[in-house]
Amino acid sequence: MKIKSNKSAVVDVDMTPMIDIVFQLIAFFMVITNFEQIQADERVKLPSDSLAKPPEVKAADELVLNIGFERNASGEITDPEAYIFYNGEKIPVLKFGPNFAQEARIYKQKNQDPKEVPVILRTDALVKTGLVQDLIKIAQENGFTKFAFKATQKTQ
Amino acid sequence: MRLRNSGREAEKIEPQMAPMIDVVFQLLIFFMLTLNIVEPEGDFNVNMPITDSSAPSDDMPKFPDIKVRLVANEDGSLNTIRLGQVNLGNGPNVFAGLNHEILKIIGKPGNPITKDMEVELEADYNLHYEYTLKAISACTGRLDSSGKHIIRYIEKIKFAPPVGGSKVGS
Repeated sequence: MKIKSNKSAVVDVDMTPMIDIVFQLIAFFMVITNFEQIQADERVKLPSDSLAKPPEVKAADELVLNIGFERNASGEITDPEAYIFYNGEKIPVLKFGPNFAQEARIYKQKNQDPKEVPVILRTDALVKTGLVQDLIKIAQENGFTKFAFKATQKTQ
Repeated sequence: MRLRNSGREAEKIEPQMAPMIDVVFQLLIFFMLTLNIVEPEGDFNVNMPITDSSAPSDDMPKFPDIKVRLVANEDGSLNTIRLGQVNLGNGPNVFAGLNHEILKIIGKPGNPITKDMEVELEADYNLHYEYTLKAISACTGRLDSSGKHIIRYIEKIKFAPPVGGSKVGS
């Protein structure tokens, strides 16, 4: 009886293979995680295009605007008006002028010319083209000249 | 001699695995929860300096803009694409057709004249943005056969003022 109880207490599991696998998993998730998508808004369903390649040189400063619709849980549009999701608020697209002016002021305070700051438009696939053009016009009135359209990179 | 024997016994001491495994599992769970699968995104650059339409810029007159007209249906879907006077119609291959026509105009990709050429997109106000983006893409270039590199056609894209209303036709 003594011998038996002693032996069973000493038996320990070999941890090495489990730790190997767990480290593999951690490495996998670390590599695949990217923390850069903070400025992206999930409500915006970008159009996809095979030519959309991530830029090779990333601008130091950029103004990212998310233009999209209010959607319910299943992704259906609940409000036909398009909004800009900006700092947690939703602003109708055509009323974004004061915010552009404010952004331009901030860039000027940082000794940057708004002309050199690209405005990245993350626009929902269903937004009206004319509305995007109106927004670009408002941005131009506030001194921004560089624009880029975002699309998801997908081959169809 | 005795000391050596005791030293051999010390070799059997194992490092404590439990705290390490605790931490490692914490890390694993953290990375699993923070993982959000995002499709990679890419840019299309459009350079739009502030110009008045009344003041024509010093463009080279020998290359007129390639005019691409996108006509929308009432619901914002694409009705037709017109390139200059040519009607490219509608359908799943219309953007491939536009791409092909642009290639015909520029001759061959990387042709030096493409530096001076511009595409002017004129879209209906209510056209859905995805079609505009596809048209930009079709004018910009195409992927090579390996699917990794972009063959550039025309880099400069500009917009004409939107055609107002939801009226079909120009």
